[in-house]
Amino acid sequence: MSSITQLIEKIIFSNRKVVVALFALATIFLGFQASQMRLDAGFEKNIPLNHEYMQTYMEHRKDFGGANNILVSVCDKNGNIYNQNFFDTLKNVHDQLFFINGVDRSLVISLFSPSTRFTEIVEGGFAGGPVIPADFDSSNPRALDLVAANVEKANIVGRQVSSDYSCAMVTAQLLDLNPQTGEPLDTLAFAGELEKQLRDQYESDDISIHIIGFAKMIGDVADGAKDVVLFFAIAIAITGIMVFFFCRSLMLTVLPLLCSVIAVVWQLGLLTVLGFGMDPMSILVPFLVFAIGVSHGVQMINAVEKKAVGGVGAKRAAMGAFRSLLVPGGIALLSDTVGFMTLLVIDIGIIRELAITASLGVAVIILTNLLLLPVLMSFLKLDDDYISKFEGKERKHEAFWNAVAACSRKGPASMILLVTGVLFVFGYMQSQNMKIGDLHAGAPALHESSRYNQDTFLITDKYEVTVDYISILVETTPEACTSHSVMKAMDDFQWKMENVPGVQSSVSLASVAKTVNAGYNEGNVKWQVLPRNQQTLVQAISRVPTSSGLLNGNCSVMPIILFMEDHKAETISRVVDAVKMYRDQYETDDMTFSLASGPVGVMAATNEAVKAAQTPMMMYVFGAVIALCLISFRSVRATLVVVIPLYVVSVLAQALMTYLQIGLTVSTLPVIALGVGIGVDYGIYILSTKSLALKQGATVQQAYLAALKERGSAVLFTGITLAIGVSTWVFSSLKFQMDMGILLTFMFVVNMLGAIIVLPALARFLWWNRNDPDA
Amino acid sequence: MRKALAACLAASLSLGAVAEEAFIAPLVEQSVLLDIAATDYVVIVGERGHLLLSEDGDAFRQLPVPTQSTLTATTIQGDNIWAVGHDAVILHSADRGKTWEVQNFEPELQRPFLDVLFFNAQEGIAVGAYGLFYRTTDGGESWQAERHASLLDPLDREYLEDIREEDPDFYQQELNSILPHINRVTLDDGVIYLAGEAGLLAYSNNRGQDWERYEVDYTGSFFDVRPLDASTVLAVGLRGNMFVMRQNNNWQYVNTCSTSTLNSIYVASDNRVVALGNNGMLISAERPLPVSENDPYATNTRCEPAAGISTRQVEDKAALLNAVQFNGVTLAVSANGIKKMYLK
Repeated sequence: MSSITQLIEKIIFSNRKVVVALFALATIFLGFQASQMRLDAGFEKNIPLNHEYMQTYMEHRKDFGGANNILVSVCDKNGNIYNQNFFDTLKNVHDQLFFINGVDRSLVISLFSPSTRFTEIVEGGFAGGPVIPADFDSSNPRALDLVAANVEKANIVGRQVSSDYSCAMVTAQLLDLNPQTGEPLDTLAFAGELEKQLRDQYESDDISIHIIGFAKMIGDVADGAKDVVLFFAIAIAITGIMVFFFCRSLMLTVLPLLCSVIAVVWQLGLLTVLGFGMDPMSILVPFLVFAIGVSHGVQMINAVEKKAVGGVGAKRAAMGAFRSLLVPGGIALLSDTVGFMTLLVIDIGIIRELAITASLGVAVIILTNLLLLPVLMSFLKLDDDYISKFEGKERKHEAFWNAVAACSRKGPASMILLVTGVLFVFGYMQSQNMKIGDLHAGAPALHESSRYNQDTFLITDKYEVTVDYISILVETTPEACTSHSVMKAMDDFQWKMENVPGVQSSVSLASVAKTVNAGYNEGNVKWQVLPRNQQTLVQAISRVPTSSGLLNGNCSVMPIILFMEDHKAETISRVVDAVKMYRDQYETDDMTFSLASGPVGVMAATNEAVKAAQTPMMMYVFGAVIALCLISFRSVRATLVVVIPLYVVSVLAQALMTYLQIGLTVSTLPVIALGVGIGVDYGIYILSTKSLALKQGATVQQAYLAALKERGSAVLFTGITLAIGVSTWVFSSLKFQMDMGILLTFMFVVNMLGAIIVLPALARFLWWNRNDPDA
Repeated sequence: MRKALAACLAASLSLGAVAEEAFIAPLVEQSVLLDIAATDYVVIVGERGHLLLSEDGDAFRQLPVPTQSTLTATTIQGDNIWAVGHDAVILHSADRGKTWEVQNFEPELQRPFLDVLFFNAQEGIAVGAYGLFYRTTDGGESWQAERHASLLDPLDREYLEDIREEDPDFYQQELNSILPHINRVTLDDGVIYLAGEAGLLAYSNNRGQDWERYEVDYTGSFFDVRPLDASTVLAVGLRGNMFVMRQNNNWQYVNTCSTSTLNSIYVASDNRVVALGNNGMLISAERPLPVSENDPYATNTRCEPAAGISTRQVEDKAALLNAVQFNGVTLAVSANGIKKMYLK
């Protein structure tokens, strides 16, 4: 190993200018590529496409539309829609939405769509027509009266018209492909069009416009993600100031920051080269790459300084630092990379992208901060003045580290392990209560006070239906809807599901057929049953068009749509469990009740995928860390002292999630893997010095003190710097960024403490025969 | 083959339905409930074999009755409860709902009972779609079907009389399909009043053995008929139609200006009646009821109801089916479940 290191060192440091030039060229090229980077969001990336439910969803999407819909509620601020201005605006909104590229034009529904019809029962049978007649003139009050009467007859209050008559809804389904180009639909551009063509144009003193749906949500997330640039700047500034206080030299401050920025540029450039865009949901990764880069950069300048104190000159010091850090730094970064790569096992597009983005970024740091940084530093002139300043600082630190070193003495070590043990037990119990999925109403990526979530609350408040629905697809034989037994099974199942807490209301062909049957019997509710007579049943069903979304062309597939009170993980799993329990009573060889479609169906699949991924992901991350530690330290004890604190911290992080009501979601799932990946760096840096000293025959206490003096300040410093950087995310306009910020801050700080305090305490007992006589 | 299969299926269904108990549903009090009866206790019936009982009108419990067929009507005689409904089901309990038996179940008939009336604990009738008319004289141990051609309108009766002599079998067949739905029977002072499809209002002085059909200038359906006093009978029906008979079998129109079908009549007090209807409509009328000459078929967009008539809607606009007075409150049943109201 060391001979390879020496060879690399020789090649690099004898061709310093070539190395710098190569890096400069690569940076220019990748910088250009990075400038071409586009934000890229897609609905399907967010869902586990291979999950059983999503297979059902994909299979029937053609017939029943997807879960990717958009709801536009047009509201009259005076609280009554029946006025000319409102109807003119509603018509404009309908027409405008119809023409926005990417909307499935056959599925734009509002009062103005011809499919919105009323039926009434008269002495001779049925009478009916469109709710808004063809000759509608909004300036005529009698025309408005007529529409108001038709709205009542059409039974659409609560769906297309709000229950308090202050709003009306326009809904649309989105296509997956842009019909003009055949390319996947640009969701963000679509969201921008909604804002520009609907809200900007039609919102006024009298009219407010409320838009919800996945496309709008992700558009708002992308807007919020633009703040990330600001956070990035803040993080660089804070880090810069901290590094300066650490090293008291402008040049030594600039270099690690520069190298870390180069790593980010390379990462973004490489992503573009590989054909990826940046998803708003993984916008935080460059941040992390920067932070990890700085953390390793600080180790490097720390090492260079320590060598320079020996008076060897910048070049020799840099070479020495390179030599001593290439292996531990390389291993640390490699375990980060492998840790992030394990996220690839999760079958959700966006997490895979995150895995690629993050592991790519970390791998790049090996080049920029372990290689380029020492080369650049070797050009520096470290004068005596600076060196003496540094020496003074060292002495001050020594007293501090001597105090900390007590952690490896028997008394304190026992105490630390006891406290750690208690924390672990407590944390483990809490972590068992960690919830999967979204715990709050509205879009979890955004704050409750965001416009999007306010719009969601308004719509769920004013209308009876919500975007929170799940469809169970009844798959049976062609023309099955004419069979009383099939329809009765659907109807009974639906009623049982309606009785499950969390289900607000439901609809299916069976329930509609019952209402129609009552309609055929003069609207008499006593006839609201499924007729046993097949002709009568056919008569009832024939009034339900396929465009209702309640049956496919030959009625071999019929969804049962359950509207839910919310999309909290508990509610979803309760409903899904109930479906699985009740469907056993009704399924036959010819009839299955398949989960699931609809937005909550997608969430159910995602929650299950996330839940299923959690344990394997942790196993892979820890597996990778353990393997790399074993290879590099060749010691089970060394591996244990690194991994045990890491594990304790990851359990505590889960407990924190329970405590702060942060659910395990697509966006928080990777955090623990990221936290472990970064947390392991501290342990590896501390232990690499320590195990070397131990091998040379030092006692645990001596080795620990040596490690603290050598690496302690850099570890302490990076932990604090990283934590401060990510803790600014608490102010983000994106809720998920805030959650990630809290969790990462926690993991950075506590992992650092684990490496400095728990690791030596463990070592005290694991190397029981290698202690000072008085320890 | 197909027929055999269908028969097999029907058989298994009918057996299954008898064997199956109603699902005890947490939301039963918000389900579609179709009729309510009260003496010193309250019974409510509704869709899917829902049957609820309450001693105090406040706390209801759903009873596990042996059917899942939708129950449309119920009646109480002492400790006896009968409930009837779709699949021609008749349920009976002799012990205030503790145990239940199925007295009749004929899904293959494809006809529902729509009302049930008992004169005492032994004698009663159950009526329903297409003139369905069953009678018992032994507390429901056995039920006998009857067909009452006298309920037909005069033209149809004439046509049937013609074929009766020529072909008695065909006569029975025609009678079976031509008879109108019987929506409601009410008993008052020994007289049964009957409301039904296509303008059918009739009465019987001998417990429904013979019927006399009234002449009414309306061919839409009636859903309830009820005497208010010795000289006033009120009938309500389709699209807000309300008719009152004061003397000489002469029915007069009461203009309500509502187009919601009226399902039941509720006597709120001596001088006020309330008609309950679809869309949660409550039409309150002061007595004496104001009659008018309006054309019942007119679709008048600007309408003024007659004096003393006021209209309101319950908030959720759920169809109101029936109501009783119990413990000082009005208990109503609706397509959205039980509603407690204070109708005076």
